[in-house]
Amino acid sequence: MGTEAPEAGGELLDTGRGANVALVLWPSFLAACVASLLFFAAVDPQLLSDAGPRIFADLSREQGYALGFLFFWIIAALASSVSVFLIRTRRPPPP
Amino acid sequence: MSVQAPIAFYAAAEKIYPREVKGRFARLRKAAVVVLLGLYYGVAWLDWRGHQAVLFDLPARKFHLFGLTLWPQDFVYLATLLIILALSLFFVTALAGRLWCGYACPQTVWTELFVWIEQWTEGPRARRMKLDRGAWTHEKILRKGAKQLLWITLAVYTGFTFVGYFLPIRTLGVQLLAGAIGGWALFWIFLYSLATYGNAGFLREQVCKYMCPYARFQSAMFDKDTLIISYDGGRGEPRGARPRGSDARSRGQGDCIDCTLCVQACPTGIDIRAGLQYECIACAACIDACDAVMDQMGTARGLIRYTTEHATHGSTTRILRPRTVVYALLLTCAVAALLYSLGTRTPLILDVIRDRNALYREVHGDRIENVYVLKLINLDDRVHRYRLEVSGMEGLEIAVPQGVLEAAPGSVSTIPTRLEAPEATAGGVHHIVLSLQSVDQPRIGVHEKARFIGPMP
Repeated sequence: MGTEAPEAGGELLDTGRGANVALVLWPSFLAACVASLLFFAAVDPQLLSDAGPRIFADLSREQGYALGFLFFWIIAALASSVSVFLIRTRRPPPP
Repeated sequence: MSVQAPIAFYAAAEKIYPREVKGRFARLRKAAVVVLLGLYYGVAWLDWRGHQAVLFDLPARKFHLFGLTLWPQDFVYLATLLIILALSLFFVTALAGRLWCGYACPQTVWTELFVWIEQWTEGPRARRMKLDRGAWTHEKILRKGAKQLLWITLAVYTGFTFVGYFLPIRTLGVQLLAGAIGGWALFWIFLYSLATYGNAGFLREQVCKYMCPYARFQSAMFDKDTLIISYDGGRGEPRGARPRGSDARSRGQGDCIDCTLCVQACPTGIDIRAGLQYECIACAACIDACDAVMDQMGTARGLIRYTTEHATHGSTTRILRPRTVVYALLLTCAVAALLYSLGTRTPLILDVIRDRNALYREVHGDRIENVYVLKLINLDDRVHRYRLEVSGMEGLEIAVPQGVLEAAPGSVSTIPTRLEAPEATAGGVHHIVLSLQSVDQPRIGVHEKARFIGPMP
C-alpha cells in the first residue's frame, strides 16, 4: 500500500478509557450476534422454559432470545477485556 | 519535515463538514441510495400469497422469503448464503477495491441520506461551519431544530421498518398508531432508531475508521491490479495556484492547483494526494470535485481517478489473475451448491423414534409387533397427503396407521405407528426402511432407517 498514516514507532497508541470500553463492547457485540445466530438456529429457547431450571419457567421465546444474546455478549466481552488488559499491561520492549 | 509534530495519544475527533459535489460518481451514489433504501423501506410492505413476503418470524422460528419458508433445519442455506456474500465481497474487493464501502454499505447509504437532510436544512459546507461557530440565533435554532426533527423522524421510521422484518409490519404499524404496541417491540424500534441516528448523524466516518473490521483487512484482498482511487502525483506535482487557462508546464508547475476541494469533499477528512490510506472509503467524491476544477482550468480530467497501481506505473492491468480466478471459482461453487440444494430440497422431514418400553410384543399368537412414534414435519406452505410404506424385511406390514396421512402446511404431526411381521421370519434385529411418499406431489418423499427387533433365535 502507499503512504500510511504515521505510527508512533510501531507502539500501540494509548487510546483512552472511553475507547477501551468501545474496544471491548463492539467486537463482543459482533461476536454475540454470530453466536446467537448459530446457537438459536439449532436450539429453541423454549427448551429453557420447558426443561430448564425453574426460574426460567415463565420465559417466553422472545425473552429467551434476548437472554441468550446478553449471555453471549457478556462472555465475549470478558474475552475482549482480557485481550485489552493483556495488551495494555505488557512490558514495553527495551529501548 | 523539520518540525516533528507532537504525537497525539488521544484526540477528540474533529467534526468533518463534507463539501457537496456534483458529477458522475455523485449521481451513481445517489442512484445506489435510492435503489437500496427503496428496497429496504419497500420490501417490508410486500405480500406474497397471503403473508408478508419477507418476514423473519423469530417467535415462530420460521423465515419467509417470498415462496420459500425456511425452518431452523434449513440453517445450512443461511450459512451458505452468508459464505456467498463474504466471497462476493472478497471478489469485488480484489477487482474493484472498496466499491462496497463507497456505494453499498448501510453506513455510507444512511450517512448520505442524513447529510442530504443536513445540507437541505443548514445549507452548504461554508454556511454549516459558520452556523456551528455562530451564536444561538433564532435562525440557528430553527435550522438545527428542523434538521433534528427530520433526522429523528427518519431514524424512528428506519427502526420501525427494521422491526417490521421480524414482526408483521402491518400489525405493528396499526399497534404503533394506536399506542398499543408491546414493550419489546418498542424497545427494539427505539434501539434501532438510536443506532441509525447515532451512526448516520454523529459517528459517520468514525464508524469506518475505528469500528469497521472490513476497513482494516480489506488491504489483504488488494494487489497491484485492484481498482483504487489515486492522485496522479507525476502529473499534479509540483502543485500550486496559477491563472485560469495558463499552461502549467511552461510555468514549471504540475496540474494540481492546490484548491483543496478534494480534501473538503472527503467524507473521512483525508487528503487523497498523500497516497492510498485505509481511511479512504472509495466514494469518489474527490474525483468529482477535481474533475469539475480541471474542467474549469481547461485541463484534462483524471488528475484524481479510478486506476490501479500497475496502471500508474505504466504497465498493464490484468483482470484475470490467480486471486480473482480463485475467488470467482469459489464463488461459483458456493452459488451452484446453494441453487442445487434449494432445487432438490424436500419440504418434508420424517423422524422415527422407537418405543423404549418394550423391544417387541407378540400379537395374534404368531406375529411380532414393534411400536414407533413418527414425527412428520410438513415444511411446505400447502397441505400434502402422504402414504407410509415399509421395506427391508420379509413379511413386514403396517398395522397402524392405515390409509393416507394428511398434514397441514408448516405443521408437526406425531403418528403412533405399529409394524408387524410373522414370528417365523422376525427373529433377531432387522434393518428396515420407512418411506413417506406424497400422493399429490411425486417429487416429495423421504426414507428413514429404523430397526425391527424380534425374539433372539
